[in-house]
Amino acid sequence: MDLLKKSLSNAINNILRNKLINFLCLGIISFTLLTLGIFNYISYNLEIFTHNFSKNIEAIFYFKNDVKEKEIKAQISKIRKSLLVDEVIYKSRDEAETSFLSQFPELKYILTEFDKSPFPSSIEIKFKQEESNLTTKIISFIEDIEGSDIIESKQVNIDWAKKVLYIKKFISITGIFLSGILFFVSVFIIYNVIKLNIIYRKEEINILQLVGATDWYIKFPFIIEGALMGLLGGIIAGILLIILIKLIPSYSDFIINILKDIISLKKIPLKILIRLLFFGTIIGLISSLFSLKKFFKK
Amino acid sequence: MIGFYHVYKQYVKESYAIYDINLSIEKGEFYFLTGASGAGKTTLLKLIYKEELPTKGQILIDSVNINLIPRKKLYKLRRKIGIVFQDFKLLYNRTVYENIAIPLVVRGYRKSYIDKMVKNSLSLVGLNHRKNYITSHISGGEQQRVAIARAIAGNPIIIIADEPTGNLDTELSIEILKIFEKINNNGITVLIATHDNNLIRMFSKKTIELKQGKLISSPTKEKQQWIY
Ligand SMILES: Nc1ncnc2c1ncn2[C@@H]1O[C@H](COP(=O)(O)OP(=O)(O)OP(=O)(O)O)[C@@H](O)[C@H]1O
Ligand SMILES: [Mg+2]
Repeated sequence: MDLLKKSLSNAINNILRNKLINFLCLGIISFTLLTLGIFNYISYNLEIFTHNFSKNIEAIFYFKNDVKEKEIKAQISKIRKSLLVDEVIYKSRDEAETSFLSQFPELKYILTEFDKSPFPSSIEIKFKQEESNLTTKIISFIEDIEGSDIIESKQVNIDWAKKVLYIKKFISITGIFLSGILFFVSVFIIYNVIKLNIIYRKEEINILQLVGATDWYIKFPFIIEGALMGLLGGIIAGILLIILIKLIPSYSDFIINILKDIISLKKIPLKILIRLLFFGTIIGLISSLFSLKKFFKK
Repeated sequence: MIGFYHVYKQYVKESYAIYDINLSIEKGEFYFLTGASGAGKTTLLKLIYKEELPTKGQILIDSVNINLIPRKKLYKLRRKIGIVFQDFKLLYNRTVYENIAIPLVVRGYRKSYIDKMVKNSLSLVGLNHRKNYITSHISGGEQQRVAIARAIAGNPIIIIADEPTGNLDTELSIEILKIFEKINNNGITVLIATHDNNLIRMFSKKTIELKQGKLISSPTKEKQQWIY
């Protein structure tokens, strides 16, 4: 506990002593984490967006006229078994005729020309809504049914959802790629800053070794220093992200108005902020451990 | 306590800083290590605390073959040895107290215990009145004594000092050596490297003499039979 307190105060002193280098370093970590945060935030919102969208997905399939009732029943029970499906409403050809007539009674004369209902039988599928992230599965489920050869045609509204999912995927990949590069840049920079600090305190380290300090005792303050630097970077990035998001309305009133109902642009989930702190600390830890490993290897 | 068995040390090819040294240092004794400049005194001390590794040969300390100590366990050896360096190796921007406390702090002792031990060490070297001074603000002779106090603070079984009177006048040198005598009287083995023959004459102690890396006289030279 004493060691921790001492290491912390040492670390803070070190960071304050080499102000320029350390602030530069902090700036780069913050920038890295801010990038990570922004991409996380966008993905998060797109996720909510597609989730809300999946609530509205409905799919109606029309069967071919010559399909036997038995085959239709089999198809329906197969669909019902899926965990994605909330409800399947079957409408036979006669029922379709009846509902047509109730909506357009004045068109009854058209139907007199047919001896059998001209409307195809159909099913309407409603999907469950509770779980998020089902949109992708729902889409492939719908596409599966479509492939069945007893289906004549369909009426589904998944094109938009597909596009959004595609964009989300693209943004995620870009985010991972960019953050990955910046991650390595950050590690490299903290690594060198810690190395400088080690060299700066070489004399003291040497003395500590000569009077019987364990390696761990000597390494600990530097590890704390790295982790602290990363954590600070995470805090700064988090604050910047919150400010950035608060500012959104001032530069994009228009977009906000369109999307307001669907997504919660002004809220940033705690999850993302915690992730920033976590990644910051990890970056700091990894870099300082690398530095120390290099210094202590013999 | 300390044994050298056919120890050689080469820093560069074709030149030996230490050549075929067999040596035995007994527990509780007081030794001078002497020889001209470049004779290998500092090198021999560095071999003891494993700052340098022998090119050839074995060194035993407190029944441990130090060649076999892995890096991670080196601190155990260092805790047995109190070292007074030729260049002091103090942290000059820290207080006298902080410098002396270092060996105790790294051992993870409690504050109250550290206070007590530092106080004892300070009394031994007669520097109680300088306890809270910044180390760079005190005189060279006082710094020398801080270095001794730090070496003794960790309660070592042997004290090694490299030219502890190097930059001091005769009067101060005698004072310093008296401190080492006091330490030795507490049962701690003392080994002091010096080329000051006056001092060696004044304090008649066992003497180990080196010449160009070779041992030319040693109090226990006749007894070099080693049992493994
Ligand atoms: N790091 C080193 N690299 C190369 N040669 C070295 C090194 N250290 C010492 N030497 C050489 O080893 C020999 C012994 O040196 P050492 O420092 O042990 O002598 P010394 O007896 O302590 O001398 P002094 O009384 O001047 O301190 C010298 O010839 C020296 O030049
Ligand atoms: Mg020397």
